[in-house]
Amino acid sequence: MARYIFGRILGMIPILVIISILSFLFVHLTPGDPIRIMYGAEMDMATYEKVKANLGFHDPLYVQYGRYLQQILSGDFGVSYKTKTNVSDEIGKRFLYTLGLTFAAMFWALIIGLVVGIYSAARRKSIWDRIGIISTTTIISIPEFWFGLMLMQMFAVQLGWFPTSGSGTFAHLLLPSITLGFGVSAIIARFTRSSVLEVLQEDFVRTAKAKGQRESVIIWTHVLRNALIPVITMTGLQFGFLLGGAVVVEQVFSWPGLGSYLIDSVLARDYPAMQALILLFSVQFLIVNLLVDISYSLVNPQIRYE
Amino acid sequence: MRRRVRLLTVSFLMATAMLSACTSNSGQPPPTSGPAPGNAQQQEVPAKAVRNAELTVALEAEATSLDPWNSTDSNTLHILSTMFEGLLTLDENREVVPILATDYKLSADATSLTFHLRKGILFHDGSPFDAEVVKKNLDYVRNKENGMARASFFGFIKEVTVVDPYTITVVAKEPNSAMVAFMAHPSATFKSLKELQKKIDDPKYNLDRNPVGTGPYQFREWKNGQFVKVAAFDGYWDKEKPAKLAAILFKPVTEASTRVNMLKASEVDIVTSLPTLDARSMGTDPNLDVYSGPSLNMIYVGMNTKLDKYKDKRVRQAMNYAINKEQLISQVADGFGTAADSPLSPLVKGYAKQQGYPYNVDKAKQLLTEAGYPDGFAATLWTRNSTEFVAIAENIKMQLQAVGIKVEVQAYESGTLFERLDAGEGTDLYIGRWGTGTAEADWGMRPNFASDRIPPNYNNSGYYQNEQVDQLLNEALKATANSMAQQKYTEAQKVIMDEAPWIFLYVPDVVIAKRKNVLDVGVTLDTVRLQAAYKQ
Repeated sequence: MARYIFGRILGMIPILVIISILSFLFVHLTPGDPIRIMYGAEMDMATYEKVKANLGFHDPLYVQYGRYLQQILSGDFGVSYKTKTNVSDEIGKRFLYTLGLTFAAMFWALIIGLVVGIYSAARRKSIWDRIGIISTTTIISIPEFWFGLMLMQMFAVQLGWFPTSGSGTFAHLLLPSITLGFGVSAIIARFTRSSVLEVLQEDFVRTAKAKGQRESVIIWTHVLRNALIPVITMTGLQFGFLLGGAVVVEQVFSWPGLGSYLIDSVLARDYPAMQALILLFSVQFLIVNLLVDISYSLVNPQIRYE
Repeated sequence: MRRRVRLLTVSFLMATAMLSACTSNSGQPPPTSGPAPGNAQQQEVPAKAVRNAELTVALEAEATSLDPWNSTDSNTLHILSTMFEGLLTLDENREVVPILATDYKLSADATSLTFHLRKGILFHDGSPFDAEVVKKNLDYVRNKENGMARASFFGFIKEVTVVDPYTITVVAKEPNSAMVAFMAHPSATFKSLKELQKKIDDPKYNLDRNPVGTGPYQFREWKNGQFVKVAAFDGYWDKEKPAKLAAILFKPVTEASTRVNMLKASEVDIVTSLPTLDARSMGTDPNLDVYSGPSLNMIYVGMNTKLDKYKDKRVRQAMNYAINKEQLISQVADGFGTAADSPLSPLVKGYAKQQGYPYNVDKAKQLLTEAGYPDGFAATLWTRNSTEFVAIAENIKMQLQAVGIKVEVQAYESGTLFERLDAGEGTDLYIGRWGTGTAEADWGMRPNFASDRIPPNYNNSGYYQNEQVDQLLNEALKATANSMAQQKYTEAQKVIMDEAPWIFLYVPDVVIAKRKNVLDVGVTLDTVRLQAAYKQ
């Protein structure tokens, strides 16, 4: 197992180098001049050229990339053009917010998703199964933007139970995490349902039934262990997505996480921040995927990695 | 089956209730716009209200920099105006009045401006304000080596001379009667010499994050993406106008609906850049005041005058006649705007109302026919991809279609749009918005219509060149008598309106909302002024 993990981590290195090159090119070739955006329409050419030189834009792209690579290898992501603060520090602060939001959202998503998914599968073709399918399909199709605003309108503005936006207390976390979690819960519910249904048709389930075991015992002890594998994969992917910045929800609720940082950076063409965030999201994805693979063997010990 | 039907009915009712909760305020009669909230009501401040409260303001975006020379966006000015002061400022009637100066005098030939400075003023860090501070500040911002965003704004200055510790003269490169307005701009404010020296000694020192001015509020904290906090400054020089609030919190809330909800839920006291649709419904809320009035901005459609089809003045005029501005304002700005009757907003000093282009499709068609385009032509209209701008573009497309001009709308994210305009390739029609920050005519017209302001990096993206306009603008600057300057500016506006290098659309309103218990909030030059604000 340790060898497997070590091999996977080694394998990440070339991927990260490729990502760093692509993200660098992507950021630098995006239309929009950061200086023009920062300083407005009426900057004279002398000042413009001076700022351009200060930012190192006069050098060829490969020189700029070399400088960037050198910088990130020493753990420095540079200084943001927009906020003039250290990008690593900023990411450090905002990462905690995004992590908190992601965990809270996944908490709701897993509770709702697993319960609805398992129950729907167990009561297949019943009215509850249909309600489950219809409501999860509806939830998946609702734009997060609208859903978040609706929750805000009802629970913050009309009822005054929670703050509309911002951060700081547990109450601030509730509405954005529910907004995020709801969408994911629907995906998990549907995945769980179809996965459980599939496993329910396996021979060993039939055998267990023939032996006269109770259905609940069959589901909890035999079915879930096998059915959860694809669910874990999907949960991991979703977790990676959310960690990669729940852009819309963070915007709606003014949540100071990585998603809103990404939006601000892109709008300002803040190259150092954009590059750092893209790289960070990629690393997160790779790590989450690795953790997902490892967790397979925890759920089902028959799965072994060599 | 019956249970299923009941369930569906309940679900439907719940969904309807939720939807109505979100839209219950629409369709209400519009609020009446009035004077800036609190401006007219100079009430006596109750003793207990003094500095007992914290005010929260929701801004549409985060500040770009808290260095007045390094930010050009109006959003940041709301914050800066609480901490920084200049030699001059504009009062509620947009008249120039001294603040850190006691008086000023423009020389007879409009080449120099002399200020006598107020004595006994201290910066937030305890350092004194004097002529040396003013000189060092202006010398620093003008120096292109320092790469300040406002360097070109102060480009008119030839030198700054200290006459004595409290007298200073700003000498212009050439006669410039707009100098006074430039020195009254919110960018022409001063920071402590101690801070400036730190930057001079260490170029990496971050002036953007260390604002030290002379205003009634001093900087406390800036948490990225969350807030900028300023607190009352006890050593403020004007003992008659001290800060009345303990602190002000400026929160960036990019999502407009969230700003509105925050105000409704009493989480913020003031909201800037209120969506016009919400402004209508909020005007009826007894706890809220909605203020709307003309801004310094102008929304227009620029035309690439290098293209053959726009070379003929009649085509450009025809396009102006083809647009029903009132309909446009009511459809895309919910009525919060004024049809353009000059290239300048009526708030700009030097503005002179012109005849404009009343909606007249027949006249438009006739002019197009005369110009050789009886069947119109095809055009591409570039716009920013924001909802408001796309709506304007679609409306323009629809209206121009009526005279045979077939418009294809292409929406770009603003950074991309600017780059395309700067590149000057493929530009046809584009929607622009210009804010005359100085509130005087030169800055309203020169950047947009002067021959030397064509791209890259300047705003005359339609490549409009007209010697008469250039000459009039230059003469106006040289004019020492106000009446002479006004005459030249009036003439320039007349020529520009007649030449029609833009489709002049409308001046959008500034729309802000506040809770009723917040008083003495001013709105000057699109900036919310909170120096005198307090909470009841």
